[in-house]
Amino acid sequence: VLWRLTYSEYRNASRAYLNVKTKMQVNAQEEDQSPDFSEEPAQQHADSTPLPASADQARLEAMVRRYSALLSKYPEIYSSYAIVSEQITRLHFVSSEGTQVVIPSATVRLAIEAETRAEDGMELLRFETFQAESLDHLLAESEITARVAKMATDLKALRAAPLAEPYNGPALLSGRAAAVFFHEVLGHRIEGHRQRGENEGQTFTKKVDELVLPEFLSVTDDPTQRQLNGTDLSGWYTYDDEGMPARRVEVVKNGVLKTFLMSRIPVKNFSKSNGHGRSQPGAMPVGRQGNLIVTSSNSTPNGQMRQKLIDEVKKQGKPYGLYFEDIQGGFTLTQRAAPQSFQILPVMVWRVYADGRPDELVRGVDIVGTPLATMNRILITGDQTEVFNGMCGAESGTVPVAAASPAILFSEMEVQKRAHSLNRPPILPPPGFESDAVPAKKGSQS
Amino acid sequence: MISAPLRVLLLVAVISFTPSFAQPPASMQTDDPLLQAMQTEMARSKAQLKLEGMSSPYYIDYRVVDVDEYRAEAAYGALRSDTRTRFRFLRVVVRVGSYKQDSFFSQGEGVTQVMPLDDDIVAMRHQIWLATDRAYKDATEALTAKQAQLKQYTVDQPVDDFAAAEPLQSITPLTHLDIDAVPWRKTIQDVSALYATDPEIQSFDSSIYLQAVNRYFLNSEGTVIRSGQNLATLSIAATTQAVDGMELDRSPGYMVSDFKDLPTPKDLLARATNMVASLKELRAAPLVDEDYRGPVLFSGDASATVFADFVGENVLGVKPDLGQQARTKGAWASSYKTRVLPDFISVVDDPTLSSLNGKSLMGHYEFDDEGVKAARVPIVENGKLVNYLVGRTPIRDFPNSNGHGRARIPANNPGPSLGNLIVRSSETLSHDDLKKKFIELCQQRELPFGYYVETFGPRRTPRLLYKVWVKDGREELVRGAVLGDLDVRSMRNDVVAAGDDVYIENRTLNIPHSVVAPSILFDELEVKRANANKNKLPEYPAPAVATRK
Repeated sequence: VLWRLTYSEYRNASRAYLNVKTKMQVNAQEEDQSPDFSEEPAQQHADSTPLPASADQARLEAMVRRYSALLSKYPEIYSSYAIVSEQITRLHFVSSEGTQVVIPSATVRLAIEAETRAEDGMELLRFETFQAESLDHLLAESEITARVAKMATDLKALRAAPLAEPYNGPALLSGRAAAVFFHEVLGHRIEGHRQRGENEGQTFTKKVDELVLPEFLSVTDDPTQRQLNGTDLSGWYTYDDEGMPARRVEVVKNGVLKTFLMSRIPVKNFSKSNGHGRSQPGAMPVGRQGNLIVTSSNSTPNGQMRQKLIDEVKKQGKPYGLYFEDIQGGFTLTQRAAPQSFQILPVMVWRVYADGRPDELVRGVDIVGTPLATMNRILITGDQTEVFNGMCGAESGTVPVAAASPAILFSEMEVQKRAHSLNRPPILPPPGFESDAVPAKKGSQS
Repeated sequence: MISAPLRVLLLVAVISFTPSFAQPPASMQTDDPLLQAMQTEMARSKAQLKLEGMSSPYYIDYRVVDVDEYRAEAAYGALRSDTRTRFRFLRVVVRVGSYKQDSFFSQGEGVTQVMPLDDDIVAMRHQIWLATDRAYKDATEALTAKQAQLKQYTVDQPVDDFAAAEPLQSITPLTHLDIDAVPWRKTIQDVSALYATDPEIQSFDSSIYLQAVNRYFLNSEGTVIRSGQNLATLSIAATTQAVDGMELDRSPGYMVSDFKDLPTPKDLLARATNMVASLKELRAAPLVDEDYRGPVLFSGDASATVFADFVGENVLGVKPDLGQQARTKGAWASSYKTRVLPDFISVVDDPTLSSLNGKSLMGHYEFDDEGVKAARVPIVENGKLVNYLVGRTPIRDFPNSNGHGRARIPANNPGPSLGNLIVRSSETLSHDDLKKKFIELCQQRELPFGYYVETFGPRRTPRLLYKVWVKDGREELVRGAVLGDLDVRSMRNDVVAAGDDVYIENRTLNIPHSVVAPSILFDELEVKRANANKNKLPEYPAPAVATRK
């Protein structure tokens, strides 16, 4: 296998090399004249500790059955599932430079989704994932059960919630929501290879040593950190997919951009890898995030954050501010051909009124914005760091990542209405709940 | 507000009311939870599914395919993958309108969903409920979309959208995947280890694929069908390169519906050894001549391939797209009752046959995937096209299904498909006489040799092609040929004789079927050199095999 792949790849490479040399003559010079591949010392690391035994399949099956059954109690949840997957891997990497790396790894991932639809057809979705190195590290079953119950009550509340209106004003993001925000808005734009190539937006390429965030914020990407506040971080690894040792990288220090997340693709002024060359098996590694961690020197106890939001709302003379309790994910565009923008998909969003009315849940909100403008509207942060573990997809495939951040108060955040389908809820009642519908019918007749 | 006692009363009333539609008809009572779930939801949907102001469905069907499968693959003597998978797919079709014109169009063609594997009736019903709801709403929209589109065409000879069919009930035992994987793993590893017997072999793999497929079909007309079938594919494949760089490959396989019909490890090893030897011969074989036009003899194997491709594909009565006037989509759309093959050739498709000459036929079934009973259908009689194979979607002149509506696993919609395609000749020649006639034809054309095709590879490129010398009947293997003008027309005009042999080819591509054909003789075909790139040989040899063990 290796023999056949080697000679066929050699042929592909020879052809590509000729093409590249010709193109360099024909096309205008690229702005960034860095070499194509960085020189790095050879690594020797053979971790041959035996792989952990895989969990008993029957036990995993019973677990997802239990979680899934919890959701079948709710007639308004039309569709739901629980997925568990366990992956035990041993990565072998050798290069002609003498690197030999063998790394074992293991992940257990539990995903639970529940879906309903409001009367106007809007799909409402709650999605929770739990990720850890082993089944025992996963959150306790009682806590997951409580989270599942909350998913169900959240959905019930969301079905009844009013539609959100487009809005621009003060907004408070919970730690998890803020973590996703930083992953999308900052994280993807400091991936090294995005600083070269004439198609990339290069938001931060020439901002090194300049202020890109408020001075009280620092951002590191630290794949060597295995846990944070007792939670396994899913972006943990010891060697990256190019055989380079993982390194803690201080990307933004006191608001000032210091460096990028580097694979072995050099960019101007940054010629070496810092252990962030990542890919899914079979894809070509590029600079990617591991554990992106935001820290703040201007924090307020979490308990006072809601009041700070209200103060800001009052200051701006708005009727209400928005509190983003939880989000399901986001995406961002970094290519030049498209506008430089990002979108975060929140699920639990509350209107916090200035006049003391109780908070009101709204549905159908998307956060939109452009990166540089939004990051300069950060006022203060909370004092507790929350972790969002997830899977991140980009050109080198899907890799596990974590993002961690305290809650963050923005002076201004723009939200738009979410596009949604107009499908009605199902006509017949769900199986097992036929009886619920019949009394209602009789009731309307009498 | 309902007071407490009243609520209890109502609940009691509901409970006593439920069984009237929860129970299947007495004749089809079953212990099978999946079937029960399907029946309960069918009854509920039939009775109650209706959007205000829109019409109810006139037809609903539920199809569930339950597959338990084992796959293993070995290469270079080592196991490469080994998986056991179980899945169930549900397909729901809801039709709104009438048999004459209905919603089966674009998004109205049904909804597919993954079914729970546990026999949890409520969970299964939940999935069916959601799919039915979706399918009904989609169908309602699709009918309007179809009517709107049809307004743009004038249709001269309208054909109904859906054929009537008799309700049928049949529940046969479920099949199970009771296999011991260990010996299979060993067999494919041992077979693929044969790569080491020839250093010029570049890739060599072997795989086993065993499936136990249980099919459930239920429709609102009262049809209930449950049937089980096993399917097995065992294959070996190897590649090498001739000194001039031409890439050569062989990939023989076995497809059977009874695991007992699979070859023994010994037989498989013999076949693989044979394959290695034939690749070696191919490497040494001379290139085919640049030009040739003349007689070509096809073995039963090669003949089965061309009958499947040129007859099998064109006898399917596939309804053309909306507004089009043709009878079907195939090359024989306007060949009904005309000559399509030589006078001495007749073709039937007979899914009711389970074996022929002691060999099992993979295209056998009792009921098709639309719940219609399988039927023997004469397709070509004495060279003339007399029938198309159709399911419940009618085409012009064929208003009813002839039991050939079959679906791919797991969840495609059924469409006209082959069962057991059987080609017979009214005039047959023994093997020797056929070869004699072939040589005579070559002599008449003053050709020093003719060509004999033993087997085809992908896209009808001859894998084993022999030059047969007129002067002494000697057969010489050649490589790198393609057949220039092998098509529907040459099948009709250039086949001059058929052998008395019966070659049976089982095929599983998409839908299991069989093709049965005799060897045939063409009086004229073009054989020419393939216009293929020749890749360079590897820069350095394969890893030394001696280091193994």
